[in-house]
Amino acid sequence: MKYSKKRINSIWYSPQVAAWVFLFPSLVSLMVFVFIPLLTAFLMSFFDVNIFLSSIKFSGFSNLKEIAEDSRFWNSLKNTFQYTFLSVLIGTTFSLSMALYVSKNSMFRKLLRFSFYAPVVCSMTAMGIVWSILLDPTIGMIAKWTQMIGLPKMEFLKNPDMAMPLVVFVSIWKTFGSAMIIFIAALHAIPNVYYEAAVIDGAGVWIQFRKITLPQILPVLGFNVITSTIAGLMVFDQTYVMTRGGPLFRTETIVQYLYSRAFSISPFRLGYASSIAMILFFIIAIISVILYRSFLKNENRVSGNE
Amino acid sequence: MNKMNKYKLSIFLSVFTMCIVLVIVLYPFIWLFLSSLKFEMDIVKFPPETLPERLTFSQYIRVWQKLPLLTMTRNTIIFSTMTTFTNCLLCAMGGYAFARIFFKGKNIVFAFVLISMMVPFQVFMIPLYIIEYKIGILDSFLGLLLPRLTWPFGIYMLRSFFGSIPKSIEEAARIDGANEYVIFWRIMFPLCIPAVLTIGIMTLVNNWNDLAYPLILTNSIQMRTLSVGLAMFVGQRVIEYGPTLAAAVVSLIPLMIVYVFLQKFFVRGVVMSGLKG
Repeated sequence: MKYSKKRINSIWYSPQVAAWVFLFPSLVSLMVFVFIPLLTAFLMSFFDVNIFLSSIKFSGFSNLKEIAEDSRFWNSLKNTFQYTFLSVLIGTTFSLSMALYVSKNSMFRKLLRFSFYAPVVCSMTAMGIVWSILLDPTIGMIAKWTQMIGLPKMEFLKNPDMAMPLVVFVSIWKTFGSAMIIFIAALHAIPNVYYEAAVIDGAGVWIQFRKITLPQILPVLGFNVITSTIAGLMVFDQTYVMTRGGPLFRTETIVQYLYSRAFSISPFRLGYASSIAMILFFIIAIISVILYRSFLKNENRVSGNE
Repeated sequence: MNKMNKYKLSIFLSVFTMCIVLVIVLYPFIWLFLSSLKFEMDIVKFPPETLPERLTFSQYIRVWQKLPLLTMTRNTIIFSTMTTFTNCLLCAMGGYAFARIFFKGKNIVFAFVLISMMVPFQVFMIPLYIIEYKIGILDSFLGLLLPRLTWPFGIYMLRSFFGSIPKSIEEAARIDGANEYVIFWRIMFPLCIPAVLTIGIMTLVNNWNDLAYPLILTNSIQMRTLSVGLAMFVGQRVIEYGPTLAAAVVSLIPLMIVYVFLQKFFVRGVVMSGLKG
């Protein structure tokens, strides 16, 4: 009896077993709630499934064929790319330029850093509500100000041409602080002697930025571009709160569309929505790999130059 | 002299630009707070004013009747604090196992964690909905908690943190006969509390603010979190502005307080993810 207890203890205390004990809860949770759903999503895209799960029929590639002719899908894809392109380009440029200014230490700059990061902490829902009231054409502050400076009456989020740029603006407002903080950390890591040497050589501010700052922060720039691209391709909260995909579907993104297909437009077609999700997954995977490769290549080239 | 003036001008311009950006960043917060103290008729009039003519707390009283704010707040607190707690523990345990213990199949298991870190939730949310429906935990706290028990990213971050702790600390304990559980709980976990707190705060913010996840996994008003509840009520367009704004303030305040007091950890989390990733 005593012997077997000892044995159990020795198994229980062995590092091999301990590692599995430590990992077990995490692995079960990831297996059941990430991996199995992911495989199911893949399989489901070949089936017709309604939300009540009452009729499940194998349909082969018919979902994909239907998607190819679904103009609302192509529209949502176009909107998603438009959103991603604008938000990554403007957002990254803006957060980098803010970081360049804010990275030095002074009371004013610390205040700026503190304030710029505050929207990141807030929920998109609450701030989306605030912005859509501010941008309301009949009661909003921004309507008042644009009319005060003599601009014609505008519809803002209700105008099909303005809605997407405004959604991008609000998203950047909400998230630029996060990329900025990462840029600041990267800027702080650049040794000061580089700049001192450049000043002695008579290099101007722009040359210093091009030849020292940019190559040094390239990996972090790549990280920010990749993460914001992925976030852009998955955008949902912003459009759900501020426009619900309108006006005229001009802000309907892929995730917004697949959510509607599965949960809010009858017939609730889970299989069809899953096909859209899988397409999104492959788009994200391909774009991430391309971006990762191109930034990695640049990194090698820079280090090769040194 | 000319050069001096140019220098002064550039400083003036940059400070001026920064002040404009600062106003754009902070104005929505100020407007939200002030408008939640206005009467409904003062919010919906045109042209609107930033400063309220008359102050009132009535919106904060009416909001409790107009929205199930108490239920929503309770749900959000339970969901986000429970996940924060389990994430801190499970990510530390997982990170420790990957960083400090050699076991068979480690590389495969780690690849598994990395892959699940990279798969976006939006891709598998529909099957997740079906699985929860089949198990019967859809629209319950269990259904909200179980998929978020752990966080692959947290495991990944804490793995590199545990990896940076010198081996000698652990060896001393091992010579004294301590087993893995004692070493983890008594020695390693206390050492990495700052890193665990950082992961905890990231989890808290993510889950407190999340929209898509609780939107799909809950469907009764009884289970809605603050962000979902607010988004749904705004969508209906029948709600008055005053109570909505008061509810928005209520939903923001807890995280704002945490941010003001623990700013260091927020920044550290972001930096950690950026420089390691």
